[in-house]
Amino acid sequence: MLAFVIRRVGQSILVLLIVGLVAFSMFRFVGDPIDNMLGQERTIEDVERLRAQLGLDQPFPVQYFRFLEGAIQGNFGVSYRQGREVSEILLERAPATLELAFVSGVLAIAIGIMLGVFTAIRRNGATAHIIMAASLIGVSLPTFLIGILLIYLFSVELGWLPSFGRGETVSIGDWWTTGFLTESGRKALILPAITLGLYQMTLIMRLVRSEMLEVLRQDYIRFARARGLKERAVNFHHALKNTMVPVVTVIGLQLGAIIAFAIITETVFQWPGVGLLFINAIQFVDIPVMAAYLMLISVMFVGINLLVDILYVFIDPRLRVDRTGGHS
Amino acid sequence: MKRTIFAFLASTVVALPVGAAEFTWAETTDPQTMDPHAVNSTPVLGFLNNVYEGLVRRGKDMSVEPALATDWEPIGDGEGWRFTLREGVTFHDGAEFNADDVIFSYERASDEGSDTRSWFAPISEVVKVDDYTVDFMTSAPNPIFPSSIANWMIMDSGWAEANNATLPDKENGNYATINANGTGAFKVTAREPGLRTELMPHDGWWGDVEHNITKATLTPIQNPATALAALLSGDVDFINPVPIQDVARLQSDPDVNVIQGIEARIIMLGFPHEADALKYSAETSDKNPFADVRVRQAVAHAVNVPAILQTTMRGNAEPASQLVSPAMNGYSEGLSERPAYDPEKAKALLAEAGYPDGFSFGLKCPNNRYLNDEAVCQAITGMLAQVGITATLDAMPVQNYWPELRADNYDMYLLGWSPGTFDAEHPIRFLAATPNEEKKLGSWNFGGFSNARVDELLPMIQSEIDADKRQAMLDETAKILQDEVAYVPLYVQPLVWGTRSNIELTQRPDNFFILRWVTVN
Amino acid sequence: MTDTQTNQAAPPEAVDKSLWQDFRESDFFYAFKRSPVALVSFAVVCILVLSAVFAPLIAPTNPFDPASLNLMNGFTPPLEPNAFTGDAFLMGTDDQGRDVFSTILYGMRISLFVGASAVLFAMVLGITLGLVSGYFGGWTETIIMRVADVQLTFPSILVAMLIFGIAKGFTPVEYRDQMAIWVLILAIGLSDWVQFARVVRGATLVEKSKDYVAAARLIGRSPWAIMLKHILPNALSPVLVIATISLALAIIAEATLSFLGVGAPPTQPSLGTLIRIGQGFLFSGEWWILFFPACTLLALALSVNLLGDWLRDALNPRLR
Repeated sequence: MLAFVIRRVGQSILVLLIVGLVAFSMFRFVGDPIDNMLGQERTIEDVERLRAQLGLDQPFPVQYFRFLEGAIQGNFGVSYRQGREVSEILLERAPATLELAFVSGVLAIAIGIMLGVFTAIRRNGATAHIIMAASLIGVSLPTFLIGILLIYLFSVELGWLPSFGRGETVSIGDWWTTGFLTESGRKALILPAITLGLYQMTLIMRLVRSEMLEVLRQDYIRFARARGLKERAVNFHHALKNTMVPVVTVIGLQLGAIIAFAIITETVFQWPGVGLLFINAIQFVDIPVMAAYLMLISVMFVGINLLVDILYVFIDPRLRVDRTGGHS
Repeated sequence: MKRTIFAFLASTVVALPVGAAEFTWAETTDPQTMDPHAVNSTPVLGFLNNVYEGLVRRGKDMSVEPALATDWEPIGDGEGWRFTLREGVTFHDGAEFNADDVIFSYERASDEGSDTRSWFAPISEVVKVDDYTVDFMTSAPNPIFPSSIANWMIMDSGWAEANNATLPDKENGNYATINANGTGAFKVTAREPGLRTELMPHDGWWGDVEHNITKATLTPIQNPATALAALLSGDVDFINPVPIQDVARLQSDPDVNVIQGIEARIIMLGFPHEADALKYSAETSDKNPFADVRVRQAVAHAVNVPAILQTTMRGNAEPASQLVSPAMNGYSEGLSERPAYDPEKAKALLAEAGYPDGFSFGLKCPNNRYLNDEAVCQAITGMLAQVGITATLDAMPVQNYWPELRADNYDMYLLGWSPGTFDAEHPIRFLAATPNEEKKLGSWNFGGFSNARVDELLPMIQSEIDADKRQAMLDETAKILQDEVAYVPLYVQPLVWGTRSNIELTQRPDNFFILRWVTVN
Repeated sequence: MTDTQTNQAAPPEAVDKSLWQDFRESDFFYAFKRSPVALVSFAVVCILVLSAVFAPLIAPTNPFDPASLNLMNGFTPPLEPNAFTGDAFLMGTDDQGRDVFSTILYGMRISLFVGASAVLFAMVLGITLGLVSGYFGGWTETIIMRVADVQLTFPSILVAMLIFGIAKGFTPVEYRDQMAIWVLILAIGLSDWVQFARVVRGATLVEKSKDYVAAARLIGRSPWAIMLKHILPNALSPVLVIATISLALAIIAEATLSFLGVGAPPTQPSLGTLIRIGQGFLFSGEWWILFFPACTLLALALSVNLLGDWLRDALNPRLR
């Protein structure tokens, strides 16, 4: 058991190192930050001097090593664009993304499970069929288009909800800011959360439905029914409970996907989170920010992966880890 | 909230022309720094013009007017310029402004790590005469020096020293990167980079207050559709820019206004004058047709600029014939005709040059730098194909674009140029002079255009004091560039701002948004 | 993917003359005939694929030929004559004066080509790695499954942006313009193989322990023959389901990537690029530039998704 955990942790660290290497090697092709940092009246001399100052004239392995050295100590350097510590910027932006991810995750889980159970119980009903088909519309259009259509409908035409940003935020503690406590903050959350959570909602709904169908035909459910238990009790108490293991796994893995896909939602809604920060960093070739973001995402994904694997072994030692993280 | 506004009104109602108000605006890019000497770019300088001030400033019509200097005059026979400083000016933190701040700001802005350094290339020495008089000595007569420093902003020496920000630091940033302390009409009261920057009026400002703003907030919104939605739904009061295609829709909406003007920026096509061969040609890889002036003329005649302006620009831009727009100082009035759209003539010129069947080549284009840049390049690709020269269009984000051009990876490219000095000399220095690293000439002349007479005229233009003689030389240069088709100027980029209908403001061709000219009704 | 394995596929030896007849008499075909959803979505997919394949014959103009475009035709509303040229177009024209109908047909070709190639690539890669890791186990398995973790670590859009950047650095300058399409295929394919690998590996683990595999091994058949002839057929139905759903995902992914600026070039637009361009005209009143491509994409992705959905249920006998 312990050996397994140690082995998996070791592998995870290796994975992180590789991710770092791949991410870092990509930056050489993203563009040249120098042009963005100097105005149009710069001379070739200025360009060379700044390049040397930033260490961009060093050979690639040297740059990677310097990056790793800093990253291990939690120091990702200074943003080319903002001239501030990257870790400080990330901390400042993280609450926005986490709150958005949290709300869309909760929405996706709650609505997804509800609709999943419903469509499984009424598997041949017309409503269930309509829900099943309609849920596919959400995954048959690109996210950015859904976001823009929502803005067009609810902000421009109806004027109900704000078109961008986080609304007013309230600071809690040293660095956390929340939009939950103000009305404009809560309103601003609605459209981005729907846009971001739609895909996961469909996913969870379909997963719950197929798991439920599977469970509902098991013998013990039939016995429960035969014993005269109420339909509701059977459905929720017995059936749904037993579908939860795979559902929880997928939700865990999808958490990372939500944060990654926030890139697009945040761009469309000008949501001030880490995804928008990353897109801005790409446009500016802000290498320290890009590197830190990718490492952060990797740590999160690998961490979740590791946790799920270990939990699996705890829950059912017979299971040699085999799960699907994909879209089912 | 209501109560605080009321209290505020009561205390300042005398100073404000109309009812006071809060104002929110959105731009595509956030100013990346609050340091006025660190980055020489429109978003930074435009924003900081509200916070910092220079010795001189530009008025609503772009004319140079007194700011921190009340007066300036040439010293002797073009040896330099003497500036008389305004007395009784205070910085936002209350410190007094005097000649020491000017000397300090000169040293700071002309340091090697400063992006504004090139403005001071003509300066040999700066001398403090007394607390309110400063002499700028130039190595050669320099008639345009006062107007060339309109964006050079004065920082308080005491504040910079106290906060360890005596030099701009691009690499690591310093106190001045996120804080500001100028003499301008507005002070920065909150700054969250990339999210929100909040300004409040500077109570001790020396000038006459024209605005009625109590608080102004800048939010960057990148996606043009989102910014437009924010304006339409009333979430913001002003956006810059408005996507060109949406002008008509905004004009028909009673709640919003569109303010249109012409920017200082000329959009043009550039050629590889120096290259021996085309890089992206299927069949003409051993020679460079664009080295032949007839081929360049053919390109100029093949591009249907009126159609681009009509369709892609929706009638919101003006054609261009030179490297500067008519609004700039030194524009050549006699050379305002651009080559007519004439595909037959283009074909004839190509045949004459030895390419009756045309040739193929590669056109490079940015896709996020200029208004509708990608669509314009696409249209040009079609027009050139119609006279027989077929371009493969490669459009890319600007962060990849400049390195590509520097590596000479193009057969033709699209370039926009906005002269920082608002003078016709500027593009000659950067785009037409033979590239010379030592003399810092031709640094954006990617194609290596070279003409001995232009090189000879440039220093003469730079030091000529007599306006008529100077104009004659500028005309001569412009004529050479037209005859040689060094570039194909296409059009002047339009400037389109959108406001809620209760907002009044003034638009300047340098695309600077000046908050002190805003009135909220 | 809960239906990891089904024992539906016939033993491979049984493939004989009347394959078509077998198919027509199968439960599968019977269920297909009886499901209106399956019939309709299959028909829609067929129509769209055929019109994409035969686009050069159907489309009134060739939007990929820049010399044939007239900029003055730009922004013509559907079925209304243009104010300057008098030309009229079924679905109007876009900002370049391209006929939207033709552009959709040609764009769908690119979208389908990218989507299908990406899925094919992901499938081949995923099946191979899944079989190998399941069959051989040990270090091979560990390495492949950790690589899969890395893959999942990088969200598909990031993988694509990364590959795009690297490919740009390595492709010789003269091939850059064709590069975009292949890079898209590679990028989308690479971000999709993990699911195939996991399903196939699961099936392999189950089948490996069965007697007939042991028997095959005893009589000296090569591991590859065993994997391909005995094990793989058992994993085919989940693979088919994943492939169908992946196709819809790949087409959407291509559209998303073009929003981030790493899609097909604007001179040869895919459906995704058309939507990216069209969204800029949503507020300005030229609704047709966005509306028609978006509807086409929706119809295509939705029917592929519905088909995949139906397939999943149909191939899982326990759910019938």
